[in-house]
Amino acid sequence: MTAFYLGLASFLLITLAAGMWRILRGPSQADRMLAAQLFGTTAVAILLVLAQAMEQAALRDVSLVFALLAAVTVVAFVRRAWPPMIEETGEDA
Amino acid sequence: MEAMIQPLGLALDGLLALTLLWLAWRVLASADLFKSIVFFIAFGLVMALIWVRLGAPDVALAEAAIGAGLTGALFLAALSRLRQGEEGMANGTHLRRANGLRFGAQAALIGLLIALFLALGFALLSLQNEAPGLSREVADMLPASGVSNPVTAVLLNFRAYDTLLEMGVLLLAVIAAWSLSAAPKEAVDAPGPVLGGFVRLLLPPMILVSSYLLWVGAYAPGGAFQAGAVLAAAAVLLLLSGRSPRASGWLGWPLRVILSLGLAVFIAIGLALTFAGRLFLDYPPDEAGNIILVIEVVATVSIGATLAALFAGGRPQQDKRE
Repeated sequence: MTAFYLGLASFLLITLAAGMWRILRGPSQADRMLAAQLFGTTAVAILLVLAQAMEQAALRDVSLVFALLAAVTVVAFVRRAWPPMIEETGEDA
Repeated sequence: MEAMIQPLGLALDGLLALTLLWLAWRVLASADLFKSIVFFIAFGLVMALIWVRLGAPDVALAEAAIGAGLTGALFLAALSRLRQGEEGMANGTHLRRANGLRFGAQAALIGLLIALFLALGFALLSLQNEAPGLSREVADMLPASGVSNPVTAVLLNFRAYDTLLEMGVLLLAVIAAWSLSAAPKEAVDAPGPVLGGFVRLLLPPMILVSSYLLWVGAYAPGGAFQAGAVLAAAAVLLLLSGRSPRASGWLGWPLRVILSLGLAVFIAIGLALTFAGRLFLDYPPDEAGNIILVIEVVATVSIGATLAALFAGGRPQQDKRE
């Protein structure tokens, strides 16, 4: 089963790498921020799978903290950096 | 199936390392600061996964709490303040690219980096395979430390000096930030129904998880720093939602007492032990567990308040006495 879990974690990591394209391309700041949030969710999943693969229950605590705090960054984004004060060009990749 | 475990683990680790390097490069190379911040948030996530793979769940927990709860929000707030300062400038948040280095200088720099990489690689390979470290000594002394998590034993008993000084560094950081400027008055609207309800929903579990991390630190990954960071994230959420305790007079002496309580109690316990005929911070083994718990509780509250005060970014502006 461990091999299966490790393979699953690798696959999730690859989907995370694919999601980086969205951060790179945007075009808007909200797209980039939401891509980072998606990463947070994927990281929670990877940690839960690794907790099983590496038989370390403490990793579930790490994923709990990630899940609980993921929203703080988005609230900061909405309250402090949104709407953007400077017009975005949308093609600064 | 069993034979697959090692290559699959290696593939996962290699993938993580490559992703981390690529993200680090994007953080540094992006001309758009906002993009850099988003890449840095992703960098923190991958870094936490790497700490997990390196067998350091305590560090992964700290990285998760500080990376997800604080640094992202801190950078975004700093960026919005930068923009306010640069309003009207045509190319606000875009760093102006320095004039490219000449080709010769570039080649010399790359050659130097390759030489450094090779030298470091050689030094690493010439090391003993298994550095003995101090883990055996820690394991031997663990029963006398009062806790069963070796990381907590080292941080709060065997090397309590380090943690004491770290608390001092945190307090100094707040004093420095406060002496530089007053906290800027952010124009924060009252939270709408979504944000207001969200904060009401999320704050209790945050405080619960913070207490859990504090308690679990005695025998599993966790402890005062992780718990304090989660507590600070809760405070940051409050500050962002505009429900700051500005009016209630909490920002005067009560805040200063909370900020310095961790260091003060730590020093007081150390001195009390000295007067009791032991060495500074040399806990009696029977009471060590309780002493560590007391120190960790006050440290958690102080760390939470310190990090939140650093997020607020300056000394609190006292309301006019009316």
